[in-house]
Formats: sequence, structure tokens, C-alpha cells
Amino acid sequence: MILDGKVPGGPLAQKWEKHRFDLKLVNPANKRKYKIIVVGTGLAGGSASASLAELGYEVKTFCIQDSPRRAHSIAAQGGINAAKNYPNDGDSIWRLFYDTIKGGDFRAREANVYRLAQVSNNIIDQCVAQGIPFARDYGGLLLNRSFGGAQVSRTFYARGQTGQQLLLGAYSALMRQVGMGRVTMYPRREMLDIVTINQKARGIVVRNIINGKIERHEADAVVLCTGGYGNVFFLSTNAMACNVSATYRCYKKGAFFANPCFTQIHPTCIPVHGDFQSKLTLMSESLRNDGRVWVPKDPKDKRPPTDIPESDRDYYLERKYPSFGNLVPRDVASRNSKVVCDEGKGVGETGLAVYLDFSDAIKRDGRETIEKKYGNLFAMYEKITADNPYETPMMIYPATHYTMGGLWVDYNLMSTIDGLFVLGEANFSDHGANRLGASALMQGLADGYFIIPYTIGGYLASSSFEKIDTAHPAFENSEMTARKQLDKLLSINGRRTVDDFHRDLGHIMWDYCGMSRNDDGLQKAQGMIQELRVEFWDNVLVPGKNEDFNQSLEKAGRVADFLEFAELMIIDALQRRESCGCHFNEAFQTEENEAKRDDKNYRHVAAWEFAGVDKSPVFHKEPLDFENVELSQRSYK
Amino acid sequence: MNWLTKTIGASIGKKLMMAITGLSFIGFLMAHLAGNLTIYGGKDAFNAYAQKLHTIGPVLKVAEIGLLVFAVVHVLTGVWLFYQNYNARPQKYAIKKSGGGRTVGSRTMPYTGLFLLVFVILHLSNFTFTDKSQTTIYEIVSSTFANPFYVMFYIIAMAVAAVHVSHGFWSAFQSLGLNHSKYMPIIMVLSIVFAVVVGVGFGFLPIYISFQA
Amino acid sequence: MTKTINITLKVWRQNGPQVKGRLETYHADNISTDMSFLEMLDVVNEQLTLSHREPIAFDHDCREGICGMCGAVVNGRPHGHQKGTTICQLHMRQFNDGDTIVVEPWRARAFPIIKDLAVDRSALDKIIQAGGYISANTGAAQDANNITVAQNIAEKAMDAAACIGCGACVAACPNASAMLFSGAKISHLALLPQGKPEAARRVTHMLRAMDELGFGNCSNERECEAECPKEISIVNIARMNREFIKAGFSSSVE
Ligand SMILES: Cc1cc2nc3c(=O)[nH]c(=O)nc-3n(C[C@H](O)[C@H](O)[C@H](O)COP(=O)(O)OP(=O)(O)OC[C@H]3O[C@@H](n4cnc5c(N)ncnc54)[C@H](O)[C@@H]3O)c2cc1C
Ligand code: HEM
Ligand code: FES
Repeated sequence: MILDGKVPGGPLAQKWEKHRFDLKLVNPANKRKYKIIVVGTGLAGGSASASLAELGYEVKTFCIQDSPRRAHSIAAQGGINAAKNYPNDGDSIWRLFYDTIKGGDFRAREANVYRLAQVSNNIIDQCVAQGIPFARDYGGLLLNRSFGGAQVSRTFYARGQTGQQLLLGAYSALMRQVGMGRVTMYPRREMLDIVTINQKARGIVVRNIINGKIERHEADAVVLCTGGYGNVFFLSTNAMACNVSATYRCYKKGAFFANPCFTQIHPTCIPVHGDFQSKLTLMSESLRNDGRVWVPKDPKDKRPPTDIPESDRDYYLERKYPSFGNLVPRDVASRNSKVVCDEGKGVGETGLAVYLDFSDAIKRDGRETIEKKYGNLFAMYEKITADNPYETPMMIYPATHYTMGGLWVDYNLMSTIDGLFVLGEANFSDHGANRLGASALMQGLADGYFIIPYTIGGYLASSSFEKIDTAHPAFENSEMTARKQLDKLLSINGRRTVDDFHRDLGHIMWDYCGMSRNDDGLQKAQGMIQELRVEFWDNVLVPGKNEDFNQSLEKAGRVADFLEFAELMIIDALQRRESCGCHFNEAFQTEENEAKRDDKNYRHVAAWEFAGVDKSPVFHKEPLDFENVELSQRSYK
Repeated sequence: MNWLTKTIGASIGKKLMMAITGLSFIGFLMAHLAGNLTIYGGKDAFNAYAQKLHTIGPVLKVAEIGLLVFAVVHVLTGVWLFYQNYNARPQKYAIKKSGGGRTVGSRTMPYTGLFLLVFVILHLSNFTFTDKSQTTIYEIVSSTFANPFYVMFYIIAMAVAAVHVSHGFWSAFQSLGLNHSKYMPIIMVLSIVFAVVVGVGFGFLPIYISFQA
Repeated sequence: MTKTINITLKVWRQNGPQVKGRLETYHADNISTDMSFLEMLDVVNEQLTLSHREPIAFDHDCREGICGMCGAVVNGRPHGHQKGTTICQLHMRQFNDGDTIVVEPWRARAFPIIKDLAVDRSALDKIIQAGGYISANTGAAQDANNITVAQNIAEKAMDAAACIGCGACVAACPNASAMLFSGAKISHLALLPQGKPEAARRVTHMLRAMDELGFGNCSNERECEAECPKEISIVNIARMNREFIKAGFSSSVE
């Protein structure tokens, strides 16, 4: 089936304007008669809940953590992009649009990306009005920095805690609505299933994490903002509770999953240092503005880094990409780290690390300047590794960071299930095959503050809703299925813990579906995943009972979904017979070892439809038409 | 008046009461100490000071009543705060260590305060509400301090007062919202200086007097 | 350098808010000093699970010191003894071979225990609901640069806004008071021009909520500041006091 993105007609710059006019409106007095469920309270979910409640809808909001303020958006460090052009350095909506679509290696939908760039400015206005303490100049105006390889300074930031501040802004708007009784907040709830009645999303079934009670909630539309699935790799920069379950269970109910193999591996993370490790920590990309990446020229060179003279060092990014140097996009930087480590030049105990060296910057600008810029990051690094980066170079290695893939949505952010909207990292919409720095925060807030309030109104106003309640058989069914799975997990009583399986899955995905992929590896991985899944359902050990605060049971449900979803990633990676952005299939590369796209055959979104657990999913595509930009080969030489 | 009870009854309002009354006691202590220094001038100087004090009559009465009201407010609010604070953690920690914020003064406020209450009552009944028609204040004081136990008690009480104000002094500023990066360090130093002045200034008097006698 | 240590843990185990809890002893051997404290607990939990005992329940999420979900009192110190560090960032190299480590949950009337080390901190959300926001409906904002904020004010606001809402201040406070948490939010918003119109209402309502939720009063013990993983200063409490006094006596807010 060819999917229709429902992109409105007309010139690119007027599409959104025109569409907003064309969308039907819900009468203000009627808004309170509509119930909307929002799952997730990150930037996307928090902003959506608040904005929808402000409009007058009756909103119910759910999240896993004990408070909506803890969604993983809180961890974003670097900043948020907007096309304000305050620094007068040549930025514009068009340039932000172009950079984003090119950064995504031309695998995103033009109209969506353009809209994102358009509303980016409103986001900054909104955030400032909410009191977000962005960095400011002495004169009191907002400051920008350049980020993620952009050639203009368009990133707004609040120290190294931009995500935290933006999330607290959305959270406070949400709390205001909770205080006024317009949003009912359900924290410590995990969504187990979406309930569809007459092909429309009409509710969800959740598990109360504290006491295991299964609860049913009905609504007229469901907005899913459940974040990314990076934890399929076990180790990632994501928080421990990040999962694919919410989106995956919608996929099983008929929502198509788009581009699942598009996962971003971030180049500057603290390397893995033991089997016990539970997560990886990101060191902000901004470090590459001053740090120089290198490895010893000779793989046998085991001298401490400070003893290795200039002549024996290979500053490989500067060597290969003279014009961008250390600031090449994430996918390029990551892949190159892997290449040098594969050549045996990696450093550290495991040989899976490269140096990020600040000694030249410290010599040039003085320690104080460097401390001012990166003090908190250096301190964090030292806390984790016990090495002092002012004296010895940092060691870094790539780690899974962001997932561009997600549930397929049309221009209205509605999935293939009517009334199921998907926002933020959970959808696939704006970043193509690679996301540029500081653009996920922008997307989450754009979706929640400025897009869903319009498009959901259009949907509600143009659909009719029969009266239902939670006794409906569809709810009964969903609850039964969920309960059955929980009981099954608890009854297996095998010999391996949930984490043990998760770790194994992570290794498989990292080795075969990570920075660099090939057909043999992917096929092998598919078999391994299938075997692991079988073993899981036979040998997993989940202690305790359902009617309790049972963290092992929570994890088990998530890992069960990862074990199915991982295979979908592999299938997607195998299907895409090209390299693009983060998806690097060794069979498709240029002479300079860069990703080689096949625009003729793969200029599309791959969207998968569930057909059964051990059955091949059905492939659908949404062709991507580029009417406004010329497809070029990314080059950062 | 609803707004007033709400404001004063709030946690910060109660602290505001503590701070205002506490600071006024500090003011009183300073005046009291200055007056008491006349003891070093000898018996006549001290008696003259006491006389002089009583000539200002109504002003003194007002001040006394004011102090009494403040004392009631300070004590009752202090007890109330202590009770609420105790209840805010029904299950105590098996092990609890300080992170370096608390001081001897801060951790003992309610206890030093209660001790001071006992002291003040005794002190007043000894020196203030006693029949002075047959004698002078100097004689009362010196006969009281002829008793070594009383000297000891008095000295301990002054040490306790020093501990109480070592925290109370700066704490009152903080409660009033007067914490500024330029001035707070000075106030912290003054807290200690004032505590030492109170402790030594008052504490040395009974020793001096008992030696005189 | 990586090395391993053996430690004895005494962990608070409690099945629910109403039942009695107790400290239980576990041995954790060959713990790499590169592990974080929570990774050490993961290892203990794996062992407990495999020996068919219930793993220790504890809250955590980001494991990089920013979400504020983690927290336990380690040897009498919230988040452990390392300054400016959450328990998820506390590493085992801070301990010695043979140490006995006592781990307890946050204890406060306002934070009932859910299970073991996990407590219910929804009271903090309720304080925010009472006024910890600027009322700015989506879409109503003017251009961001129309509001100027002096750099030092923006920095001070950011210092206060850095609060992660973990509740360590409450756990550390001898009175289980939430003044640092509340003070940080009130300061953050009161410092900025955008926050001024609602300042009086905000501080009055938030403080009332804090009092009603069963937190204690502040006696300026400074334990909160000493234990705050984000090292938020009690200057923010003073600012809240000021704001409150101002609101109480010179605004029309009741
Ligand atoms: C370390 C790090 C640094 C980053 N830095 C930047 C940066 O500088 N700039 C930038 O633009 N982007 C950055 N990103 C990416 C960006 O932070 C995220 O993509 C974005 O915040 C995702 O927001 P979200 O609202 O979609 O999801 P999240 O913030 O992940 O929120 C997901 C929500 O869904 C809930 N949820 C999930 N599953 C369920 C379920 N089954 N049931 C119920 N609720 C559920 C969760 O409780 C949570 O509330 C960074 C990411 C990481 C990990
Ligand atoms: C000369 C006598 C006294 C002086 C100079 C004095 C001074 C002070 C000062 C300045 C404070 C600090 C207020 C604040 O933190 O805002 C204080 C606090 C306190 N005082 Fe006193 N006080 C005296 C007597 C007493 C008495 C008799 C009691 C009896 C109960 C008492 C109990 C307390 C308590 C409990 C506090 C701490 C309140 C809190 O922080 O929660 N004090 N005192
Ligand atoms: S787990 Fe997020 S702060 Fe510790």
C-alpha cells in the first residue's frame, strides 16, 4: 500500500497556514465534552497536555515515573534550535528547514520539516514567557551558540541543562492545569494497550505500577508521546524506563511502524567499562567545539596519552574532513571512531575508546575559559571515570542516543489508527535518517504546543463518536491480553533474570545493527533474536506477584516487547538496500567510505504493518517527494 | 484579620515571629549587658544605674510589658514549631549524620531555649520580683552570688544563652529574608562575636561579684 | 584503576506504607569500584532474584543525576557523602573494602514509603500545582527578546531552577521541611520579570500547600543546602521568606 502523508497543497511556506484554516474547529463550548488521553509527559506530552487543557478539552495524562517532571527529556543537555536569527549570521526558517532535511539525509517529509522550522520561533517565545532561564548576554538579550555542526548560531540553551529547563517549563504549565482541575494526572502508570473501537482509538489500558491494578481509561482521542526505543540496545544514553512497549503495542493493534532501523549513535559518550554497566552517559556534543579527537597512529602504542608526541597522533577527523574537522555530524563522527577502533587503534582498557583532547584549547584560551564553558561536564566525567580531563584527554566512544524511527504519522501527526496521534520522539516524522543536534527538543515542543492543538481539533470536529464506556468488550479484551501476558511472565520461573536477557539482546543489536551493518550480520542477528526470544519465554525468572510494586515485572514486559521489536529493526535494515544517514550498510558506500544513498529506489519511508509475532510484517511505503530542495550527497570534507 | 492570622500562622509567619521577638531579645541583652557593666564601676555606680533606670518609669513599664509579650510569643511559637517539626518525621532514621550544615547552636535551639526559660523565671524572681525596700539591688546580687552553686548555674545559663544566640542571631536575619551574599558572611561572624560577648560579658559578672564579696 | 571490594549492606526493607519495616543485611562481594551505587544494587538484586528472594525496590531512571528519581540515605547522608552528587552518580570508589553501608529511604511524613527504598513524593508536585508556574497560555507570548533579563539575574534564576526535585532536602532536613525545594522554585520565578505579576499569589499559595502537606518548618539548619545534589543555596529560602513577608503584608493576596 502506498501511504498518503496528507500533505496539504500549495507552496511550501503556506502549507501550514492554509491547512490550519482548512481544519475544522471545535466550538469552544463543546471542547469540554471531548476527552483526550495523553500518554507521556516529556516535552511532547507535557506541552500537549497543557495546551489541550488550556483550550478546554478534558485531559487525562499518564506517565511511568512518579512525577511528570522526570520524563527523559529532562536529560537533554545541549540546546534547542530556532530560526530567530538573533545573531544576524544568516539564519532563516528556510535555512533551518534545509539544514534539518539535509542533516536527515533526505529521508524526511519536506512539509513537516518546514513546519517545524516555522514554529521553532514560537517555541522560544513561549518558553521565555514561561520563565525558562535561557543564557543571556550582559545586555539582557538571549544568547545563541552553534551546535551539532551547524554553520550558524541558532541554538538556545540553559547551561548544560536545556532539556531540564524546557521540560520544567512544560511541566509547570501542566501542573497549572492539574491544579485547576482540567488535567487529571496519572503518574506511575504503564500503558499496556491501546483500545480501538470501530477502527478508532478510544482508550488505553494501563497498569498501576504501585499496586499492579489494571485500569481502563476511555477517551475520544489518544495522544502518544512515549519517547524513543534506544534501550533496545540495553546500553544507551536513555533513561532506564525508556521503552518501545507503548508504541509497539499500538503497532500490534494496527499502527504502522516507520523506519525502525534509523537509530542515532552519538559520538561523544563515556565508554563502556564493565559488564555490570547499566547505562551510558552522554558528554555534550558541544565538547567537540574545543576538543580534538585523536588516536595513536600505531596500534601498538600503549604509552599514556600525554607521552605520545604530536607526530605519533592521528587526528583522524581533522585529517579526513579538513573543512568540518571535529564538527562533522554525529553519524560521521561515530562511524569514524568505530573504524579506527576496528583498526586496533582504540585506547583505554577495552580498546573501544578514542581521545577527546582539550590540551590545545586550554593552552590557547586558558583553563579558566574552558572551565567556564565545560566545567560541569568535566566534573561529571571525573565523577564517573575518576580521570581529570584538564590533565589527561577524555576517552569517549559512541553510544545509542536517539531513535529517528517511530510510529508512522501523517501531516496531522495521526497514525494509521484513527484518533491515535503520535508526538515527539515516538513518531518518525521530522528527522529522516539522522537527527541534527538540538532539534529533538524543538520537535517535541513544536508537536505539543503548536501542532496537536490544531490537528486534533480538526479530527474531533470532523468525526462522530458513539458513546462508549470501559465495560466495552474491546476494553475487556485488552485487559485480558495484558493480564495473560503478566501471568505468563510470572509463571515461567526460569533461571535467567530479565536484565540478563536484555543485555544479550543489546549485544546482538550493537554488534549487528549498530553503526555499521551488513547483510550477513543482520541475517545472523535475526536468527539470534528469534532464539533469544524463545528462550526468554521459556527461561525468564520474574520474582514476586502482579499486585505489588514489582520492578522486575515492569522490566520483563518491556524486554518482551524489545525482543519482538528488535527483529522488526533488522527486517527494516535488511529491506533498505542503501546507506543513508545513520543507516550504514557496508555494501553501499562511496569510494570515500561515506553512506551512499539510492534515491531512485529508496527515497521513501518504510512503514511496517504487524502481521503476527513470528510472521513477516507487511511492508508499505510513503514515497518522499522533494519539490523544494535538491537532493545532494552530504559532504563534510 | 483573617489575612493576618493566615500570614503569621504560616510556617514562614511563625519564623517571622521568632525572628522579630528573638532580635528584640538580642537588643535587650545588649542594653542589659551595657547596664550591667556598671558593676565594674563598683557598688554605687551599679545602684545608681538601677535607680536611673527606674526614673524613666512608664517607658520602662512599656518595655517590660513588651518584652513579656514577646517572651510569650517566642516561647509559645518555639514550642509549637518544635512540636510540628518533631512530627514531620514520624519514623526516625536508624542512622543520620550531618552534612555539615548544623551547628551546636542550631541543633539545640529548643533545648537551650527551654533552659533559658527556666533561667529567666529564676532570674526574675531573684532579682526583679523581690522585695527591695530594705536593701539595694547590689546587695541582692552580691548575696545571691555568694552561693557558688548559683554562680555555677548562672555561668552555665550564660553559656547556654551564647549557644542559643550563636545560631539565633544569623538565623533571624535569614528568617527575615535578609540574606545577601555581600552581608551574610559579616552577619555570620557577628553571630559568633555576639555569642562570645554574651557568654563572657554576662558570665564573668557573677565571678567578679563573688570575688568582690 | 578498577579494583574490587567486598561490602556489607544493611538495607531498609518494607512491604508497604502501613507495615513495619526492618534493616536486612546482605553481602556484596567483588564489587567493582567503577560501579555506581545503583549498579551495585542491581548486582545485589540479580543475586537476590536468582536465589528466589525479592529484589530491593528503589526508584531511579536517568542514572545521570538529572531526573531526580533516585534517592536513598546512605550511612545517614541523603545520596551518600559525596558532595553535589546523586546516588546514581555516587561511585563505589567512594567506599572501602570491608565497609558496612546502611541504606534507608527518605523519611518524612509527607513522603510515605511505597516499598523498601521507594517513597511517594507526589507532595512536591502538589506544591508546584499550587503556583509553581507562570500563567502563560500557549500561543500568547510576545517575541522572546522583548523581555530583557540582566545576565546576573538570569544566572541566579538558573541557579535556583537547577533543582531536580529529588527530595534530598526534605530527607536531610531535621524537620523534614521542603523549604529549599519551594524556595528554589519561588526564587527562580520571582527573579524573572515574567514571574513578577504572580509573585505574591505564588508564594502565598505554594507555602500554604507546603504547610498543609505535612512538611516541617525551616529552622535554618542548612542541612538541605549541604546535601543538595545540585548545591542549591539557602539564599533562595531567604528570598522566599522575603517574598512571603512582602506578599503577606503589602499585597492584596490573602
Ligand atoms: C542524554 C540526552 C541528551 C539529549 N540532548 C538533546 C539536546 O541537547 N537537544 C535536543 O534537541 N535533543 C536532545 N536529546 C533528545 C531529546 O531529549 C529527546 O528526543 C526528547 O526529549 C524526547 O521527548 P519526548 O517527549 O518525545 O519523550 P520523553 O521525554 O522520553 O518522554 C516519554 C514519556 O513517556 C512516558 N512513557 C513512556 N512509555 C510509557 C508507557 N509505556 N506508559 C506510560 N507512559 C510511558 C514516560 O514516562 C515519559 O513521561 C537528548 C537525549 C538524551 C538521551
Ligand atoms: C534571652 C533569651 C533569648 C534570645 C536572645 C533568643 C533569641 C532567639 C533568636 C534570635 C532566634 C532565631 C529566630 C529565627 O530563627 O528566626 C531564636 C530561636 C529560637 N528560640 Fe530563642 N531566644 C531567647 C529565649 C528563648 C526561650 C526562653 C525559648 C524557649 C522556648 C526559646 C526558644 C527558641 C526556639 C525553639 C528557637 C528556634 C525556632 C526555630 O528556628 O524553629 N528562645 N531565639
Ligand atoms: S536516576 Fe535520575 S537523578 Fe538519579
